[in-house]
Amino acid sequence: MEENTPQTIFRLPTTYLPTLPPTAEPYSKHRSHHTPIVIDNGSTSIRWGFGTSATPYTSPNAVAKYKERKTNKPLLLFGEAIDSESGVRAQAKTPWEGDVLLNFDALENALDYAFIQLGIDTPSVDHPVLMTERLCSPLHSRALTSELMFELYNVPSLTYCIDGIMSFYQNHLPPPKQPFASNGLVISFNTASTSIIPILRGKGLLSQAKRIPWGPSQSSEYLLKLIQLKYPNFPTRVTTIQTNWMLHNFCQVATDFPALLRELRDPLKLRASEVIVQFPFTLPVTEEKTEEEVAKIAEKRKEQGKKLQEMAAKMMVEKLLQKETDLQYLTNLKETKATENKREWVSKLQAEGLSDEAALDETIKKLDADLKKARKKEAGEADEGQEEPTFPLVDIPDADLDEESLKEKKKQKLLKAGFEARARARREKEREKEEREREEKKEEEEREEDLGGWARKLRQEQEALMAKIKERSKRKAALTDRKSAAAQARMKNIASLAADDRVPKAKKRKGGGEDMFGADDADWAIYRKIYTAAPSSDEEEDLVQLQVIEQKLLAHDPTFTNKHTHASIASQRSALMSAFRPSYEEGDIEGNTRIHLNTERWRVCEAYFSPGMAGVDSAGLAEVIQNLVPSFIESRSRTTPLDFPDDRAELIQNVFLTGSASRMPGVEARLHATLQSLLPPGSPINVMRAEDPTLDAWKGMAAFTRTEEFRNVGVTKAEYEEYGGERVRRWWGGNWNGEFSREVGDAMQVDEPQQPAKAPNFDDLWGK
Amino acid sequence: MPPKGGFKKKAPSDGAATPLTPTLAAQLSYLHQPRPFKNPNYTKNINRRAKNLKTVLGQEREREKTEREARRLEREELAKTDPQAASNIPEEVPTYTTIEAPPSVIPHKHLCDITGLEAPYTDPTTGLRYHDKSVYEIVKGLSASVAKDYLSARGVNSIVK
Repeated sequence: MEENTPQTIFRLPTTYLPTLPPTAEPYSKHRSHHTPIVIDNGSTSIRWGFGTSATPYTSPNAVAKYKERKTNKPLLLFGEAIDSESGVRAQAKTPWEGDVLLNFDALENALDYAFIQLGIDTPSVDHPVLMTERLCSPLHSRALTSELMFELYNVPSLTYCIDGIMSFYQNHLPPPKQPFASNGLVISFNTASTSIIPILRGKGLLSQAKRIPWGPSQSSEYLLKLIQLKYPNFPTRVTTIQTNWMLHNFCQVATDFPALLRELRDPLKLRASEVIVQFPFTLPVTEEKTEEEVAKIAEKRKEQGKKLQEMAAKMMVEKLLQKETDLQYLTNLKETKATENKREWVSKLQAEGLSDEAALDETIKKLDADLKKARKKEAGEADEGQEEPTFPLVDIPDADLDEESLKEKKKQKLLKAGFEARARARREKEREKEEREREEKKEEEEREEDLGGWARKLRQEQEALMAKIKERSKRKAALTDRKSAAAQARMKNIASLAADDRVPKAKKRKGGGEDMFGADDADWAIYRKIYTAAPSSDEEEDLVQLQVIEQKLLAHDPTFTNKHTHASIASQRSALMSAFRPSYEEGDIEGNTRIHLNTERWRVCEAYFSPGMAGVDSAGLAEVIQNLVPSFIESRSRTTPLDFPDDRAELIQNVFLTGSASRMPGVEARLHATLQSLLPPGSPINVMRAEDPTLDAWKGMAAFTRTEEFRNVGVTKAEYEEYGGERVRRWWGGNWNGEFSREVGDAMQVDEPQQPAKAPNFDDLWGK
Repeated sequence: MPPKGGFKKKAPSDGAATPLTPTLAAQLSYLHQPRPFKNPNYTKNINRRAKNLKTVLGQEREREKTEREARRLEREELAKTDPQAASNIPEEVPTYTTIEAPPSVIPHKHLCDITGLEAPYTDPTTGLRYHDKSVYEIVKGLSASVAKDYLSARGVNSIVK
């Protein structure tokens, strides 16, 4: 890696074991006091507590059923406890599936946990419950939640609210005894979606609310995808927990994304913007040996080698001796032929495993040659001076020979041919060697005479070869495209090979209609041309030659360095690419377990403003706000005049951010800039983040349970039994869908205390 | 779980059994904590609980359609007798499906699929957008499947030619 300004390298956070939760607080304070219970059931975290407490219990909203390996006991773990043992996380379930509350077994487990923590020991949960639900929650989710609450826990009343509105309420608390009447545009950053909810005169204007299907979970997944594409061979698995951590710590919203991208075009700036994440790695253990040990090992090896050599020599001597005695014996045998009776002699031969005299002669000859060879070797003589074998029969005409001799002649002929061929090859080799030496000498002379010229010549050769290789790869690339000229030419060749009338008619007649393909060796080249799959042998040859030339240049031309070799030129990467993804040496284990984040740091958050870039076909934050403008700015409205024009203008000028993800750096500045471009010039724009984006929804809910109004907006158990779990009463902080039908709502409202003072034409507002 | 093989041997006890300290996970488990507040007579409806996301959203859409139709009829009915009252009936109740943000109509700058920088060019063979010629070198070297992965990160699922 090239030298660069040292960057801070971030290590993955170490995970801590969860601690035991605090023991449940004494329930006696709340027993039979009907203290409201407030539950903010978020898809990442669930927060719960009595409405009278200052802060809620908070826990990740996930539950895992797990069988402990050692004791085989079933366990039920909730929230952080999931991390207490590895392998549990894989089985964790959350009540939410993306953006929708769907897994009610998990919800039941979560609620059990919450109520246990609250210390409830009565036969039912005898507290009114205020609980969040998704903006315009599907009625199925609501029905099943109500069913759990009323039938399993027997709560006396249940109220649903929208978390974003309640967080806004917490940050704009009205003075006591006065109705909530603030205006603002709430942007609620949930885990799997982002909602935009206008609040007009203290009421959620859900008819104008919008949900963008993009949130931190999608961002994190997108980041993971980008990392996987950038580092396809990353040694360890990158998990979403890790990308979540990167998202929270290193990613931000660019105020002006196009300008930022223009800036990052500069490789130096790109490099400066990066964040390096170091993943854990283990260095391979290399055994360090002291010099003494190395010497010892060498000594040992030497000794062993010596021993082996000695043994081999001994064996050889033994073999030689054996052969010598054999030879002696056989020669003696031969000599006895004269003295002994022929029949006896033959039987003696056969006892030795020899068929006749010829075989005996052969064996003797062979043994003799072997012995001679061995002795020569012993004497340190070269193997070469082999005596030339004679082939006496070859030159005698066949007619002069008998059958036996003819056979022998055939054999000798073959042997002679082989011998001659070998000799020819040897001569050829010698000639080549001489030639090579001559050439080398010539080259050396040339080099010594004119180094510049020599180097030029070689470099030209190198370039020509590189061009050839490049040309070939170009052609290969062109062939993958069906429409390229190269591919078309190839198709033409194939077609003409397949065609019958390849040979012109006139020629055919002349050549007796014979196909002359192949008469010329060059004809066969056509098959190499049309066969694309296999790497051609030319390529290898060229590469070898190139290497030879480069070696020479490297050795003698001082201006030719490693940088000029084909290998380094081919693997050269542009400054931009190496800034985008700096590469490390092959063996650098530490470097190769690093992830460099640069453009991704903004790219991932930019998807909030254009989800399309991550494949989600939806308008982004800015576009949704832009679509809202005509409904809130009188001068931009194309239809009838708006009611409460001042309140409406105030609404869109006051953007309120809530939800954990609103902590993304830069999002406020970006939204400020967005609004500035959308609203009439000079509009006072105010972008505000909740004081505590994570807990303010719960705190707002708790504050609301302390007001008089809370008693009137819930659904009682009797109403649930009458109308079912989907029905709710419409109020400023809750959803509109599934509200009681007008008659029912009116009938029920008769015996309710009067609502706080309303604006005169509120019904118009609510009807919109 | 049904008991497995009745004559399973118990772990040999050597008298000096180590006292088992429950693991952290066991201490954190709340499986056996009392839940007096639960109604013992409640039986969950498994079929209702087992619905998947697709059916739930489909149902939601269906319901919305019928409700809108009902409201329209009601309004028409009322308009015959009392036009004033008819206008009071709300047109639309926002539901989970209706509040979804519309598809984007603003043109967005193309981004380089490899580097994330601005991408003025598109490679005609793979369809990948790229920043400049140095990135194009990389694009040319990509295998078809990797190019497809890059495209799918942008939500483009290539059509087999």
